Amino acid sequence: MNRVYDCLLYFSAGICGLLLLGAVAGLTGFLLWHGLPVLGLELFFGSLKIGEIVDVIFLQQVVVDGLWPAVVGTCLLVLMALSTALPLGLGAGIYLAEYAGGKAKTLFSLTFDLLAGVPSIVIGLFGFSLTLYLHRQFSSLTPCLLISGLSLALLVLPYLVRTTQTALEDLPDSLRLTAAALGAEKSATIILVLLPQALPGIFSGVVLAIGRAAEDTAVIMLTGVVATAGIPRSLFDNYEALPFYIFYTASQFSDQHELQQGFGAALVLLIICVLLFTGAGLIRKKASYRLLYHSK
Amino acid sequence: MIVEKIVEIKNISFFYGERQVLSNISISFAKQTISAITGASGSGKSTLLSTINRLWEEVGGARVEGRVKIWLEGQEIDVYERQISLPELRRKVGMVFQIPNPLPMSIYKNLTLPLKMAGIKNRDLQREKVESVLKDAFLWSEVEPRLHEDARNLSGGQQQRLCIARAMILEPEVLLLDEPTSSLDEGAVFEIENLLLSLKERCSLLMVSHDLAQVRRVADSAVELVAGSLQ
Repeated sequence: MNRVYDCLLYFSAGICGLLLLGAVAGLTGFLLWHGLPVLGLELFFGSLKIGEIVDVIFLQQVVVDGLWPAVVGTCLLVLMALSTALPLGLGAGIYLAEYAGGKAKTLFSLTFDLLAGVPSIVIGLFGFSLTLYLHRQFSSLTPCLLISGLSLALLVLPYLVRTTQTALEDLPDSLRLTAAALGAEKSATIILVLLPQALPGIFSGVVLAIGRAAEDTAVIMLTGVVATAGIPRSLFDNYEALPFYIFYTASQFSDQHELQQGFGAALVLLIICVLLFTGAGLIRKKASYRLLYHSK
Repeated sequence: MIVEKIVEIKNISFFYGERQVLSNISISFAKQTISAITGASGSGKSTLLSTINRLWEEVGGARVEGRVKIWLEGQEIDVYERQISLPELRRKVGMVFQIPNPLPMSIYKNLTLPLKMAGIKNRDLQREKVESVLKDAFLWSEVEPRLHEDARNLSGGQQQRLCIARAMILEPEVLLLDEPTSSLDEGAVFEIENLLLSLKERCSLLMVSHDLAQVRRVADSAVELVAGSLQ
């Protein structure tokens, strides 16, 4: 009887895994099928010539009908959101895992769970309201990259807090006991022993945060993204972003070519996410090696 | 001959919740000797050891009554005094556990970690100390080419000698050993025992062991705990 259950579980779990794999493969294949034909310099830079593309990269020339400003805008958004949320998320995760006791832990956990469940449109509305308030104080401030980045940071913060907390809590207590027996202060235990061991777990939070910040449309629609803003020159400028470009193209396209450009943009967004994940993975690997093995 | 004391335990009782593990124990241990605490499993040997460096406080749910005095750098220290710095105490009172517990990092990092925690950041000095303790632990020739490999790849005996070297790198005056050979094979036990005998020139060793033959081989004195009381 047990053997029957074993086989049943094995096959049903395997089928679930295969279904998911199939879904991911189908989605990727669909994007490649529709996006690959338009993937090229023209998609990014429109009708500009090679020499002009160099000027674009050095901000000497404007791209009118290409994805390049949206690519730059998306990367800046991810960078801003992560650079704001990562230190905060790490700090709060460390506090919850290593310092908070009883009631404080329950309260903070509940708060972050609630924040994780807030729809992104509500975060967008919050960002928009914040902009209105700030606009009253400083009349020159309008929806911009800074507000979008901060709003996205708020959106991804719970992922970073929770993954940091879980990564630390999952470490065996023997590590803490060994460090204490060696004369470590609590802070030294956390910095020198626990965080390096928790890096893979924290990294999974970073990956989630990158994906979320790169793809979210609702937040940026209300806080500063514009269809044709070009590359932002400062944090207080409007900007373009790939998810908004995809949304805009998919809902407003006038011919087949435009729709295909939307697919191209979706493929580019996927590639950017994969590149960012890979980059984050390499940084994590390098950091782990440096912290745990390298000593030159 | 007057025997100089290194640790004095006075009327120590220890409780895990309502359960009393140690009952009113008073004993002192001599400097630069190997003192053994023997007894059956569950008699409170490891708990008694943990009252000396207050490591039991890291686990929680327990309380202690009584006093422990320790003489470090010629000064008498009340271990349970409120102002005492536990990290500093534990740097002077090293500990080796029953199961070898190298941290999941390189051999070299395992050894430099206590130095970093104690604020010793000079890399040349760190290298010097690493080489010195590994030589003292008869481990240098075995690990020199693989200092930057994962410490968990060493054999059980090598791991335990690494842990002793790690505990010794801050030159503690007292080394607490909680059944340091119980998980090792005969060859490794022999190596560790030789190492302990060589260390008593430099520090005082308090060793928990249930192996009476081992106690006879290495210890200068021994006490037996029976159900939380001294026999």
